[in-house]
Order: sequence, then C-alpha cells, then structure tokens
Amino acid sequence: MEIIQVVGIGLLSTVLILVLKEQKPMFAFLLTTAAGILIFLFLIGKIGTILGTLERVAESSGMEMIYIKTVFKIIGISYIAEFGAQIVRDAGQESIASKIELAGKVLIMVLAVPIISIIIETVMKLLPA
Amino acid sequence: MTWLGGWLRELILVVLMAAFVEMLLPGKSMERYARLVLSLLVLLTMLSPIVSLLKGDAAKELSVALGQQEQQGGLLSGSGRGAGELEQILADGRRLAAGAKEQGLQLAAEEVAGQMQEQVAGSTGLQGIKVTVKLGLGKASGLGGEEVPVITAVTVSLPASAGAGQAGVAGTGETDSPSGSEPIRIEPVVPVQVQIGGGSSGGAMEVTAGSRGSASGAGADGEKAAAGTGDAAADEIKKLLETNWNLQPGIIRVSGSTAGTGKS
Repeated sequence: MEIIQVVGIGLLSTVLILVLKEQKPMFAFLLTTAAGILIFLFLIGKIGTILGTLERVAESSGMEMIYIKTVFKIIGISYIAEFGAQIVRDAGQESIASKIELAGKVLIMVLAVPIISIIIETVMKLLPA
Repeated sequence: MTWLGGWLRELILVVLMAAFVEMLLPGKSMERYARLVLSLLVLLTMLSPIVSLLKGDAAKELSVALGQQEQQGGLLSGSGRGAGELEQILADGRRLAAGAKEQGLQLAAEEVAGQMQEQVAGSTGLQGIKVTVKLGLGKASGLGGEEVPVITAVTVSLPASAGAGQAGVAGTGETDSPSGSEPIRIEPVVPVQVQIGGGSSGGAMEVTAGSRGSASGAGADGEKAAAGTGDAAADEIKKLLETNWNLQPGIIRVSGSTAGTGKS
C-alpha cells in the first residue's frame, strides 16, 4: 500500500515542520523540500509506467510518435513547473512561484505554435484565394 | 478504406490519450493550457487527411517544425548551444569544401580527358577512342608545398571496332601501310547462306570469309599484322601523351586494342 507510505511521509514531515518552524524556519523549509522530493521520487516510477504504457499502446496501434512526444513534453513541463512553483510557494515567495508557473504556461504554448501554424496553413489553402 | 480505418483509429487514440493526460496533469493552473494543446492535436489528427492532401504528411510536418524549434534554442541555452553550432557549421564547411574540391577535380579530369582524346584522334586518326583521366592532389615543389592537382592515371581505351577494322584492312592486303591513319570502312554484311552438304563447304567458307572482309588464305597472317599495328598504335599514343602532357610512362595505360595491348 504505497498510498499509506506517502500519507505517512506527508504527515510525519508536516508535524516535524510545524515543530521546527518556530525554532529554525530555514530547516523547516529544507524539510518541506526534502519531503516533496521524496514523494515525487516515489511517484515518478508510477508516472513512468503510465507513460510507457501509453507509448507502447500508441506504437502498437500505428499512431504517429510525434503526437505522443508532444503530449509527454506537456506532461513533463507541467509537472516540473508545478513542483518548482509549490516549493517556492512553501518558502513564501509567491511572486517567484507565479513566475515559474508563467514560464511553464509559455513553454506549453510554445509547443502549440507548430501545430497551430500547420492547421492555419491548411485552412488557408482550403479557402479560395 | 484502409486509410479511413487508420485515420479513425488514430483519432480515437488521440482523444483517449488527451482525456487520460488531462487527468495526469498535476495542478489546475496548467490545465487550460495543456487542454488547448491537446485539443489542437485532436484537430490536427482530424485534419490530417486534408493536410496530407495539401502539404504532405502532417506528422512529418509537425516533427520538422518541432525540430526547427528545438534547434533555435530554449529559454536559457544560449552559450552552450552556440559552441556546438559553431562546430557543426565548421564541419559542414569542411565537408562542403571537400565536396567542391572533388567536383573541381572531376571536372578538370573530364576536360583533360577531352583534350587528350582530341589530340590522339588528331595525330593518329583513330576515331571513337575513350580516354579516362584520374586526377589526384599532390605536393608541388615550386609552390611552397601547396597541393595541386596532378594526373595520377591515364587510361586510353581503343575501340573494338577500330581493332576489327584494322584486322579487316590488314587482311585485304594493306598490311604494309600504317593502319592508324586509315579511315575506318564498314563494309556491308553479306548475307550468310548455309548449305548442308559435302560439296558446298568451300562456298560457305568463302561467304564467311567475305563477311569478315579478310582473305580466306591469309587469315592468320592478318591477325598477326593487326596485333602488330595495335601495338604500334598503343606505343604511338603513349609516346604522344608523354611528350604533350609531360607524363611519366608508367601512368599511361592503353587497352582494348586487337591483341589486348594493355600496358602500364
């Protein structure tokens, strides 16, 4: 039961952080980050399994791999941006966290640019001149 | 109908994957953006037959566009990528320069071969000879060690018809004249009549000999004389090229004459 382990790590770290926060806020922040990284590492194997299954299914059904790659990039960007933003937010730097989120959003939108351009070019060719 | 099935399957898979991926997303803040890209992907999959009709393969287009985007560099990858790009540009330049040099050598070799061919044809009168010149880069002594093109091999192929013509001419009794300067005469083929029977063998021989254009009695002598004239022509060509182009005798090879006068 991995969920119990995850919840246990979360609860334990929360208690420790609450105790430490009064005495040493710096260590409390480090503990928060460490707990977050630990839970993320715990889950990263599962995420890998899901993505591997998706890739295998797409490959076996003859789907274009470029679509899968784009989707994986979206997932990766959003995970990393969200994780980083939450750590920074825990440290009390809300503005930097929102900047990290903004960067994630922009990078996801950049992935959409080639798709949009191909669609627009196709539509323009369909329309009579 | 197969493409329709494939298109439908791909569409269903993309939609399913989009729904699945949307659930995988970590937070609400990225959801709208990810949903936009995923819906664009679904749209592109739906339009892929039209895209392939108008522009070619949609997936290939997308991969080319994404590859270009990656090559242009990411957010913070300015200096590290620049060095690699410079290396790549230099390597490309070296490759292009080597290709241009090779092409230049080839063109020069063709030009030299053409001139040699004209000279040989003009001085010996042989038509249809083929000259192949191989150029390489060698160090020139007078130019400060720079690499200059030098002729590394010359192959002169005498035409088979010239040899046969010489044999024919030699067989008809003109062995004393140097056959190199004689124009080639192609005699019409005499129809061959084969008659089965003991008494008609002499006539058949006569017809065959006539078709080859050589005297029936002096066939062996004619062949020998042709070999001799082929050797003479080869020697003449070699001497001519050596004197005109200042070549080493070892690099000229004359081949394809009557007696197989391949010499190196």
